[in-house]
Amino acid sequence: MSLNASLITFSGHQHLRLRLVLSILSGKAVKIDKIRSEDKNPGLRDYEISLLRLLEKLTNGTVIEISVTGTAILLKPGIIFGGPITHECPLSRSIGYFLEPVIMLAPFAKKPVQLTIRGITTDDNDLSVDLFRTVTLPHLQLFGISDGLELRIKKRGASPEGGGEVQFLSPIVKQVKTLNFVEPGKIKRVRGIAHAVRVNPQFSNRMIEAARSILNRYIPDIYLYSDVYKGSESGKSPGYALSILAESTTGAMHCAEATSRPGVAPEDIALQATRALLAELEKGGCVDRKHQCLVLLFMVLGSEDVGRCRMGEPTTRTIQFLRDARAFFGTSFKIVQADPENSNCTQLLYSCYGTGYINANRTIA
Amino acid sequence: MDQDQKRKPHRVTKNKNKGKEKQKGFNEKAFAPRSGRRAERQGRRKVELDQTRLHVPLVNRTPEDEPPPVIVAIVGPPGVGKTTLLKSLVRRYTKQTLTDAKGPITVVTGKKRRLTFIECNNDINSMIDVGKIADLVLLMIDASFGYEMETFEFLNILNAHGFPKVIGVLTHLDLIKKASLVRATKKALKKRFWTEIYQGAKLFYLSGVLNGRYPDTEILNLSRFISVMKFRPLIFRNSHPYLLADRVEDLTPREEIRQSQGKCDRTVTLYGYLRGTNLRLGTKIHIPGVGDLDMKSVEILGDPCPLPDVDSEKRRRLSEKQKLLIHAPMSDVGGVMYDKDAVWINVPGSFTRGNIDVPQGEGEQMVMDLQEAPATLEDAVSKSQIRLFGTSSKGLTLGRSQSAPSDEDESGFEDELGSEASADTEDDSEIGSEEDEEDDNDNDLVPSSEALQNTGRTSRRIPTRVLPSASSKFQEAITYAESDSDLGDSEDGAHDPNQRMFVDEEDPDVDIPSDDEDLMDEDEGDAPRWKAHLAAKTQASLTTRRSTRKNWIKLIYNTNLTPEQILNGDSPDPAKTDDGKGIIDGDEDFFTFKRASDSKAEEELDITKEPLSNEELSKWEDEEMLESIRHLFITGEDAPEAGNERQDGDSDGNEEGLQDGVREEDHVEDSVAEDTPEARAAALAAKKEALKRKFDEQYDDPDADPKSDFYTQKKEEISRQLSLNRAEFESIVDKAARALVEGHRPGQYVRIEVADVPCEFINHFDARYPVIVGGLLPVEERMGYVQVRIKRHRWFVKTLKTNDPLIFSLGWRRFQTIPIYSLDDHSIRMRMLKYTPEHMHCYATFYGPAAIPNSGFCTFNSLKSETPAFRISGTGVVLDIDRSVKIVKKLKLTGVPLKIFKNTAFIKDMFSSALEIAKFEGANIRTVSGIRGQIKKALSKPDGAFRATFEDKVLMSDLIFLRAWYSVTPRKFCNPVTSLLLSDKDNWTGMRLTGEVRRAEGLKTPTNVNSIYKKIERAPRRFNPLVVPKKLQAVLPYASKPKLMAPQTKQTYLQKRAVVMEPEEKKAIALLQQMKALRKDQVARRKEKKSEKQEERAKKMEREERRKGEKGKEKKKEVMRVIGQKNKREADADEGRGRIKRKKS
Repeated sequence: MSLNASLITFSGHQHLRLRLVLSILSGKAVKIDKIRSEDKNPGLRDYEISLLRLLEKLTNGTVIEISVTGTAILLKPGIIFGGPITHECPLSRSIGYFLEPVIMLAPFAKKPVQLTIRGITTDDNDLSVDLFRTVTLPHLQLFGISDGLELRIKKRGASPEGGGEVQFLSPIVKQVKTLNFVEPGKIKRVRGIAHAVRVNPQFSNRMIEAARSILNRYIPDIYLYSDVYKGSESGKSPGYALSILAESTTGAMHCAEATSRPGVAPEDIALQATRALLAELEKGGCVDRKHQCLVLLFMVLGSEDVGRCRMGEPTTRTIQFLRDARAFFGTSFKIVQADPENSNCTQLLYSCYGTGYINANRTIA
Repeated sequence: MDQDQKRKPHRVTKNKNKGKEKQKGFNEKAFAPRSGRRAERQGRRKVELDQTRLHVPLVNRTPEDEPPPVIVAIVGPPGVGKTTLLKSLVRRYTKQTLTDAKGPITVVTGKKRRLTFIECNNDINSMIDVGKIADLVLLMIDASFGYEMETFEFLNILNAHGFPKVIGVLTHLDLIKKASLVRATKKALKKRFWTEIYQGAKLFYLSGVLNGRYPDTEILNLSRFISVMKFRPLIFRNSHPYLLADRVEDLTPREEIRQSQGKCDRTVTLYGYLRGTNLRLGTKIHIPGVGDLDMKSVEILGDPCPLPDVDSEKRRRLSEKQKLLIHAPMSDVGGVMYDKDAVWINVPGSFTRGNIDVPQGEGEQMVMDLQEAPATLEDAVSKSQIRLFGTSSKGLTLGRSQSAPSDEDESGFEDELGSEASADTEDDSEIGSEEDEEDDNDNDLVPSSEALQNTGRTSRRIPTRVLPSASSKFQEAITYAESDSDLGDSEDGAHDPNQRMFVDEEDPDVDIPSDDEDLMDEDEGDAPRWKAHLAAKTQASLTTRRSTRKNWIKLIYNTNLTPEQILNGDSPDPAKTDDGKGIIDGDEDFFTFKRASDSKAEEELDITKEPLSNEELSKWEDEEMLESIRHLFITGEDAPEAGNERQDGDSDGNEEGLQDGVREEDHVEDSVAEDTPEARAAALAAKKEALKRKFDEQYDDPDADPKSDFYTQKKEEISRQLSLNRAEFESIVDKAARALVEGHRPGQYVRIEVADVPCEFINHFDARYPVIVGGLLPVEERMGYVQVRIKRHRWFVKTLKTNDPLIFSLGWRRFQTIPIYSLDDHSIRMRMLKYTPEHMHCYATFYGPAAIPNSGFCTFNSLKSETPAFRISGTGVVLDIDRSVKIVKKLKLTGVPLKIFKNTAFIKDMFSSALEIAKFEGANIRTVSGIRGQIKKALSKPDGAFRATFEDKVLMSDLIFLRAWYSVTPRKFCNPVTSLLLSDKDNWTGMRLTGEVRRAEGLKTPTNVNSIYKKIERAPRRFNPLVVPKKLQAVLPYASKPKLMAPQTKQTYLQKRAVVMEPEEKKAIALLQQMKALRKDQVARRKEKKSEKQEERAKKMEREERRKGEKGKEKKKEVMRVIGQKNKREADADEGRGRIKRKKS
């Protein structure tokens, strides 16, 4: 009886997070080599090491082997354990980088995850904690993960010094629900959070004004909150950002955000965020581009039924994810035009047959 | 039923009026409640009863349109009549008599139902495996004997793994002569059966055997019961794909086998109907009794035993010819039997060619056909042509005609040539593979050398498709298959082994072209459909602006393009199409990144948000642009129409290799666009539908739905999802492509190719032992520590001991492992138990393959058939899987005082070094008398001694102990039960207990001198007298002062006084003494007399006893004589019917 789970091999440092997540969920060992082997500074970066450490904390029995040069890793996944975890992020990446894989794994843990994570809360590369709270978590509710799902922003921390802290609480589920989300609906409301730390609180109001100047033409139901953190809760560096999201009648959400840059007026930041939202809305679909992978992953993990979702064209990340998902779970998607009559429509209908993934880590009695 | 059994005659009821009363109908008033409260109670009762009838709605993943055959297992002890029942049932359904019924036998029994019969032998491994897959169990019980141990074992196995439907079948009722005894036996057996299964479980009675079969009427009744049986899905089977292999073949090249002397790992194909959930390539499978294996390929084959199709559906009754369908490759249907690597043809005594008037069996016919073949396969292949397109008139000219690689049929989505071309390539690839196989078969059954060439494995598979002179049965089979392929598409034929055989066996140079013509015909039938639109489409694509339609599935899954290239719209390089394999076993690298992308990737971070580019966003400064998305908001109006001229996205037909839903729908659309009467009718219908919906919306109250309770809602939800599941991938025509997306659906007949199967599986193959292929979930592939809740079975005679090996049957698997039993100790710790508790659940933790929590299991101490007692040792359920365990056992460390101060003492002999003590600083210690204390610090001298403080002064004689917990982990031992690999499959031996090994080897248990019990010599303890210091005594109150007085030395007054009595007193005392003496004498005499009497009585009793004993002996003798006669009669009867009970198998 050969019970060695087959090994899956990848090359390159890209798409590391999703591959690790897929490996842990599927239980198949993964080997990633040629990690920046041609670079002047070869091997894993500090944030990637930090991510591996976080995954080790989250799981039990995981074996991670890193080669001497740091250009290859081998991950033999254990079980997802959960429980109270604390993690310090390096300042090279924001909390969003670490939170994204955790959100994908947390519902399948043995114990409810209570993750306290410290670092930069908002930056340009990853989703800010505001978007996690207002957009990503509602996406999990589509799959029946809702009770006890919470993200608390204790402190904000802008780059480069960080100093923010968030607490992520996730329940555990037995199985995720099958998604059937093909009706994008129409945008019925727009919400947003303008936050400012260690700068003039008036900045957030200025951002709101500017964003409203564009959005007011569409619908009246716009609430942009001004969220100012003061004192010890405001982190170590000054900064401000605007995150906005649009929700449709069927619950589809699209979001965009822009963060402060030196020498740019808050109004310009707000306009940028707003225009990014409009661009996102134009792409359409039921799920925005930042959450494609998350939604597709949970569709793969759904019960052994056909799940369907309408989305825009896949991003590069999504395309690689689809390939990786097939390597790990053997699931391929059927991707067709969502609206065959309308040639202008770039939206696609993704459908797949769920693998019937059951949270085997869950203890009964 | 025998004639000598008398039944009670029917008694006519005395009350003649009863019937008349009933005729008047239901008297409502008679049942009206007398009071409101009573009415309320009645109503409540009714509702409660309704609720009990409801159960949790479960999804049934077995497809309704073409379900796999129902597995009917016939189980029972040897000699009970299993084979007879199997043959009778097969005879009932197919009108055929099997002489050697082995392996699964599939028959068509109705329009929507097929049955697979399987006979389960008496081996417990087979019983476990059959219990896991059977949908219906015919549990056979010998009524003349009663229940046997195996029956109860089987029922308990079923209990642990999900209970299928069970019908009891009582046989050998004819052996009981007395009618009243028959009745009593039936009643007793039924009572027990009902308690074991449920009250009212169906129990069938089969009387004697006629012509080697049970009476037809009784079998008919039984078959009716089977046909109306309804099944509730079982959770385990509803979450795992599985297959009962009805045919096993060895595909290993002969040369390899020869070189390794039959010891090399084999490549084996397993055939069967898929059941449970969808089977995906890439997941692992487990064959119980063999082990975990990887599937090399899964191929859909034509159904060998198909359900009646459309045209026969129209007929009211099942015609006779469909009843004849039977698929039993391991049995000898029509004189042909398929073995693991050969086919056996039974030929009656005289066998000559040209003897057409004698009805010939299937096998004989095959041999005759082979003899008639004019050319060898090689000739046929050399003459045949390969054409790339079905329409092309000239064949390809190649150096070698069989050059097509055989692995082509594995390739995921078909290439651009379309399904016709792919069918062609598959065709010739199969020819190639046959060529490969051809040389490796050294068939010594068929004598002629010509036949030797032609009896390749592929050609052997097919009993149908013979010359017109074949018996009527086969003709029917031919028509059947043809109609099937007519209904299906061209792919069907290519996959169908029947057709393949047809191509190369009979008349190659005639048939292959004709086959191609078939394809051509289909092409021409097909061609107008897409060709007609081709011109229009090209036109459209030229006029309309460039369509951005991409075939995303193909781009993502079938090309090697980087994601960036896909998004930029680079065309795929046909040379570099990936074969869709991501899983790599060795160190090979499939994902080779291009240099260009690599260098670019250096700056690229793994980011979620795409960077905002000002150029792209600047377009939103434009007012018009802003207005253009107004329709996306609720305040905006509907989306602008795309225009009436349809910009057809299908212009790039070449790119669309996969005929997916888009195309299909487009075709439909096209036809609708044409102004045909159909289209108008459709439009009208759509209009009506819309009007109706509008009306419903206005006048129907959505809340008024009467049956919208939770249960119905759930049911509806499930059925909606199931219909979506069916519909979603229906549009993918290509079977292989469809299987890639959704896996192989249950109900399909598939061929699973498995590599690296141990050679013993083939060498010791026995068709009487079921071969099951169970799909594994990702979790189940991994090993880990599994915690279960277990209870020793109350019928198992021994207790279970920690660290004794135990055989588990869990999920598909059977394995031996070493559990550690434990109990939860006040929710603080898991405390190890040495033995399982009586009548109570406990936990067990073992190392083994993980299973989904909540799945049931049963355990065995031995699987051997000669075990006399009940073999199931425990049952339970999986609770948890983990990678580490926390089980502790108690450890007491003892020490003795070295020196005692007031409340402080130095303790020695507990530890051996200061390092150990450092670990235990602050730990609680205790004396036997209960004085508590704490470890403080190690002493420098002697080694291992430490200072401790106590709540009181300890004594030098006190024993000090420290209670600690020592964690134990189960041994990492897991031994799969590989019973199918043995030649003697009933006697698998795993790891034995030490005692068993010693007994087998004749060794004595070594004795440890320290463990021998000896008399303990304890010196008597001397306690020093308690001395209270004088000073203290002085201050003590009087009551507390020790009252110590020296013993008196002088005689007391009472001792030393003299007594002088008065004469009266003297007299009185003398009288008293005399009376006492008299009394004493009287008692003594009485006692003597009594004992005498007792003795006499004892003697009498003894005499009596002796007499009784003699009488009993005579009686016993009489009984034994009667029994002897009876036994003799029975033995005679057995010999007469040729039934040898308990000697079989």
